[in-house]
Amino acid sequence: MIEVKNLVKHFGDKKAVNDISFTVNDNEVLGFLGPNGAGKSTTMNMLTGYISMTSGEIKICGIDILENPIEAKKKIGYLPEQPPLYPEMTVREYLSFAAELKGVKNIKKEIDAAARKVGLTEVMSRRVGNLSKGYKQRTGFCAALLGNPEVLILDEPTVGLDPNQIIEMRGLIKSLGREHTVILSSHILTEISAVCDRVLIINDGRIIAEDTPKNLAGRGGKAKRIIIRVDGGDDAVSAVLDGLDGVTYSKLGEGGEYEINISNASKDAGKKLFFAFAKAELPILEQREEERSLEDIFIELTKGDK
Amino acid sequence: MKAIFKRELRSYFLTMTGYIFLTMFLLLAGLLFCLFNLAGSVTSVKGVLGLLTTWEAFILPILTMRMFAEDRRLKTDQLLMTAPVPVKSVVLGKFFAAFAMVTGALLIMLLYTVTLAFFGTVNWAETISSFAGFWLLCGVILAIGAFMSALTDSMIVAAFSTYAVLIVTVFLGNIAAVASGVLQSVLLWLSPMSRFDDFGRGILDPSALVYYISLIVLFIVLTVKVTERRRFA
Repeated sequence: MIEVKNLVKHFGDKKAVNDISFTVNDNEVLGFLGPNGAGKSTTMNMLTGYISMTSGEIKICGIDILENPIEAKKKIGYLPEQPPLYPEMTVREYLSFAAELKGVKNIKKEIDAAARKVGLTEVMSRRVGNLSKGYKQRTGFCAALLGNPEVLILDEPTVGLDPNQIIEMRGLIKSLGREHTVILSSHILTEISAVCDRVLIINDGRIIAEDTPKNLAGRGGKAKRIIIRVDGGDDAVSAVLDGLDGVTYSKLGEGGEYEINISNASKDAGKKLFFAFAKAELPILEQREEERSLEDIFIELTKGDK
Repeated sequence: MKAIFKRELRSYFLTMTGYIFLTMFLLLAGLLFCLFNLAGSVTSVKGVLGLLTTWEAFILPILTMRMFAEDRRLKTDQLLMTAPVPVKSVVLGKFFAAFAMVTGALLIMLLYTVTLAFFGTVNWAETISSFAGFWLLCGVILAIGAFMSALTDSMIVAAFSTYAVLIVTVFLGNIAAVASGVLQSVLLWLSPMSRFDDFGRGILDPSALVYYISLIVLFIVLTVKVTERRRFA
């Protein structure tokens, strides 16, 4: 379990992290979402004890990271944004070193098990400096898994992986979430939706939203987005839409497709739209309601501060 | 600390650093040994070691320049600083690895003296004392180099700032020679190179021993403090 209370970090005059508080429960995968420079990596660096906070409190499995850093760090497996690798070492040498640092008892057995989990077995004797970006990422991830830490903190773990590897890695993180507390940061919103139990959106060092991916996507209240394709001229379509309350619209391309946003829409808003066009004798060739994605919510929540 | 010591020592031989250091050190020591001991039929190595005290200031930063600066450049400090290991263990592990390299080079050099024993009489008290003094002086230079490396992200800056400090240190004795009175006494007291003279005469002066050990401890503590302080920057 991770508890963060009133965490603040200043870099000179800039407040990189501004009074954030959150909790991550046991066996939960928390997604950290935010634009570049939002404070995600800074927060992760503080959680792992790499940098210190200006004020606030961090507890890892009940242990204060400032009061007892060694014991707190024993509980953490960390994969930073750029995996911390020594290019001159082989993968096995590097993992042995990481295991020794963590005080792992049965080093060979643990390394082999972790390497199997992340698909690293075939490159164990290769030099880290000669590995592809994907394998470097896996090596860093493998090192984070050594010692079977209770908490895993993963900063953009799928960067550099090919699409198949990304799918494998997401599955692995999801399965790890059954036995570990995981914090995962990513720019890829579909990844957060697919892997995380809960999402924390951070912008300008502040938490601006915290919920499950489903609930976040459902935000926006009664607003609806409908895409229609109409067989009719622009003026005729505009005349129909202008006659409806609470409707804003825009044309999508040249195929008679329109995006219609209805604020405060009722359940049968789609029906009303259909009949309005029917009344004007403009046939609707296609009509679909689009769910608001996590991406929409993310853009909406973070654009205000730009 | 053991894991870091082993990794650092191994990395000297996985990269060119260890080979460059050993080649330069042993080549210079061998050259001076041939000129002073073999050509001059002298069994005492204090002259060779005395000359090496100046040269080592230029050779030892090869070992220290990457000590912390390289870790920050590669971001491998994230592995070290987030591992359940105290900062002092990280610093000591790296320092002792560099010290082990110097110790290895000196043990090879000691063989030169052993060969002299076959052809003449070696004053072992003077030899051992000279080697001990030289070894401790190397420790001081390594500790200064480690501290300079902890201050920067660039190996080049670390190397040149170490050279700058060491050049001043080397010439403290020369400056003292032209000074007089209290200033001369203070400069001589401060100069780590001048302290080596007693060791060369076969005297294991406790004040010199304490001085060298204190300097090593001081710069290691400063390195630990600088590394810890970076986390709060």
